[in-house]
Amino acid sequence: MNAGIQESSNLTGGQKLAVKYYTVAVVLFVAQILFGLLSGLKYLQPDFLYEVLDFNVTRMVHINAMIVWMLFGFMGAIYWLVEEESETELVGLKLGNLAFWVLTSAVTVVVLVYLFVQVGPAEMSTIWFIGEGREYIEAPRWADIGIVICLLVFMYNIAATFMKGKWSGISGVLVLDLVALAGLYVAGMYYTPNISMDQYWWWWVVHLWVEATWEVLVGCIMAWGLIKTLGANRKIVTTWLYIEVALMLGAGILGLGHHYFWIGTPEYWLGIGGFFSALEPVPLVAMVVHAVYDSGVHGSKNSNHPALAWLIAHAFGNFFGGGVWGFMHTLPQINLYTHGTQWTTSHGHLAFFGAYATINIAMFYIALQRWRGNVYMSAGLPGNGWKWKWALSLLCTGVVGMTMALLVSGYEQAFVERALGGSTWAAYFEAQRGTWYVQGMYWRQIFGYVTAAGLVLLIWDLLTIGLREKRSMVVPTDHVVVTA
Amino acid sequence: MNSVWWASEDFWRKMAVWLTAVMTVVLILLTFDTVKQITAGSERVPAYSAINHRIYYRFDSSRNMQVPVIGDSAPLFGTSLSEEDAEALVSKGKLTTQAKNCMNCHTLLGNGAYYAPDLTKAWLDPAWGSEAAREQLMVNFLLDPHTNARGYGTGRKMPNLGITEEEAHGVVAFLKWMSTIDTNGFPRNFTPISQEGDR
Amino acid sequence: MLEPVELNNIMIAVIAGAMVVLLGALYAFTFAMGKMNKKRWLIGVSYTVFAGLAISVFTLAQSLNLNGYWQLVTYTMLLGYLLAPQAIWKLSVGTHRASD
Ligand code: HEC
Ligand code: HEM
Ligand code: HEM
Ligand SMILES: [Fe+2]
Repeated sequence: MNAGIQESSNLTGGQKLAVKYYTVAVVLFVAQILFGLLSGLKYLQPDFLYEVLDFNVTRMVHINAMIVWMLFGFMGAIYWLVEEESETELVGLKLGNLAFWVLTSAVTVVVLVYLFVQVGPAEMSTIWFIGEGREYIEAPRWADIGIVICLLVFMYNIAATFMKGKWSGISGVLVLDLVALAGLYVAGMYYTPNISMDQYWWWWVVHLWVEATWEVLVGCIMAWGLIKTLGANRKIVTTWLYIEVALMLGAGILGLGHHYFWIGTPEYWLGIGGFFSALEPVPLVAMVVHAVYDSGVHGSKNSNHPALAWLIAHAFGNFFGGGVWGFMHTLPQINLYTHGTQWTTSHGHLAFFGAYATINIAMFYIALQRWRGNVYMSAGLPGNGWKWKWALSLLCTGVVGMTMALLVSGYEQAFVERALGGSTWAAYFEAQRGTWYVQGMYWRQIFGYVTAAGLVLLIWDLLTIGLREKRSMVVPTDHVVVTA
Repeated sequence: MNSVWWASEDFWRKMAVWLTAVMTVVLILLTFDTVKQITAGSERVPAYSAINHRIYYRFDSSRNMQVPVIGDSAPLFGTSLSEEDAEALVSKGKLTTQAKNCMNCHTLLGNGAYYAPDLTKAWLDPAWGSEAAREQLMVNFLLDPHTNARGYGTGRKMPNLGITEEEAHGVVAFLKWMSTIDTNGFPRNFTPISQEGDR
Repeated sequence: MLEPVELNNIMIAVIAGAMVVLLGALYAFTFAMGKMNKKRWLIGVSYTVFAGLAISVFTLAQSLNLNGYWQLVTYTMLLGYLLAPQAIWKLSVGTHRASD
């Protein structure tokens, strides 16, 4: 985003830092989509860039870019809100800027090494300097250590700012959650020849991030967003944050067991994982009641239509991606066949996009509004706000389309390869050749281009919305609450 | 109006803290037990020296699933290894899978990527043809996946990852060892390669 | 003991699984709307939806062979989906009343 032209004087120090994080987040989002398209293409044209940029490399960049852009987005959101929440200035602005540049350079170097070095010999030096080869947390050990240090600086900055200013319920939950999030990352920095042990700890990072700590983090950001942009009552919002934390973590922590069915772990995990993860959607469902209550009791006028639309997309996305798609394959009686198929990809795409891409995009719009001078962003934008509306529609259509296509492929794969064929080499390829499977792969790619078109439009809108706006922001009255 | 206790901020703060704490403690207790049960050398996750033996994957009707069975002596590459040497070889193979990023094409124990076959029971895969030729065929495949490509009409090939002979031996040891892990019947309905001593 | 889904039941299990969560949300929604607007007939509708949910849960349980221990999962789900929305309604009223 063209930082120079903007009215940065509208922003506090922490908010300027947030804009930097957001900028890198958007760049990485673009990288994610480009490498997703490349990965998908390889299913259709296996020779494309064969032995130049193989599937393992394109896929690794695809999912790593995703994890990192979302983390950058979250850090940006927290820097955005910390000063208003603590009612004081950020304690370590210089330090925060330094950590930002260190982190961004580290990410750049890691990606360049992924692309140009790709693989190494079977020595620990490869683990330290090239990559760890463990899905989602492939970053080499030196970068892991750098990331943890930058996270610690970040946490110090946030916690110390609250300490200097004032604490609130939300900031308490947030800081504890950040400690857990960073602590879990350390569980991923570990080499063992024992693949069962390896995957046991690997899931601590992956599952306890996306189904526990990230959910809570999003809950905190939402809570703040509701108070700041919609004028919601702080006491009520805080109580609901606690309720959500209780329900989410009450089911989500032991829900971890749904990854311990088939990796060598004892049989009791079938029962524990099945039980708790079957209950994971219940809080999502129950929160519908609260959303109805809130939107009904209070009429509302809201100040930022694109942000609100993306928050609604978040509520639906979290519900469908996590709740519906997660539950469909979570009981071991069926997961035995769907485990590690395109079915999993179907769920992964809808859940990550629905739960986490959406809320980040909503926060981008909230930031832009302030940055461009608290401009008007309600109904009746120039061109009726076609850019943001089309961006939203294309992105959502694209991801939902991919999800459906992958479900079709996943169904055939689970049936033909896993259940009938017993998952042998030959059975794997029998499913890969299946008519439905191949169709699914084509449609995934087509909807991938739709998603990419949505992203282009989104970026155009982010760069231009509110630039020539003369009207100022609508003051929010009362509140709408979108929980889940 | 006064708040009812069950709807108060204070009550839910405590609930959030307590529920999280209880679940975390339960997870930690379970972790102690699980780690014990999945340490190499246990019943579910056998010692690395299991690669000195023939591995079967047989149906156990009391558990209603196939389970790995460690059979008589059948040393890998003709040499029986001590526990330490076996661990070193398996570790070489595991490190190779990480250094070459196999997991972003294949699944191991069903986790990873879906571009290539699951490797959980690759050692027992019937496509290797005969038990006698298997280990050499696997090494050959890893060293030169072009010439040995099958792809079954999809055109998909594994790339040459610059694997050395030593690394390839390690990978085969790692794959053989991985096939001894008790995975609660995953993958189901798998037809293992026919081996001496099959019942 | 785990009895994996029969091949012919995979599709049924998938649909029933999705229906459980979707009807769960629809039940929660109609229930909340009924309470909100003090419309008894909507509460009636919500319990009809819940009946559909219960049928889905039992269909799921049957297609996935949820017997023995697994019945606990079946009944906990039923109870959870039935009561959680009601509890959240009470909490909504309680929390908002408390701070107004
Ligand atoms: C770029 C993707 C890619 C990477 C990386 C990759 N493979 Fe493969 N692998 C494939 C494909 C595709 C096949 C199927 C090849 C065929 O049928 O000719 C395959 C086949 C195999 C097979 C035979 C299939 C079976 O079920 O037994 C083994 C064993 C194997 N790979 C091991 C490995 C190991 C070990 C690594 C890491 C050192 C690795 N692969 C890395 C794509 C990959
Ligand atoms: C928003 C929250 C969620 C996100 C972002 C998410 C994301 C993911 C991703 C990316 C994977 C694939 C991991 C891999 O690469 O192997 C996965 C697997 C899985 N998820 Fe989720 N998930 C979420 C919530 C849920 C919920 C609520 C449930 C259950 C009700 C669930 C059940 C599962 C299961 C069972 C698997 C394993 C699939 C397999 O066996 O291959 N997820 N999830
Ligand atoms: C242009 C659109 C996209 C395309 C074509 C695409 C394609 C792919 C492909 C081919 C894979 C590898 C799956 C496999 O191993 O077979 C993958 C994995 C993944 N992608 Fe995407 N992707 C796109 C967008 C996204 C978006 C928007 C998100 C989320 C915000 C996302 C999240 C993921 C995740 C979490 C995985 C790992 C899934 C798993 O292991 O189950 N992708 N994607
Ligand atoms: Fe999970």
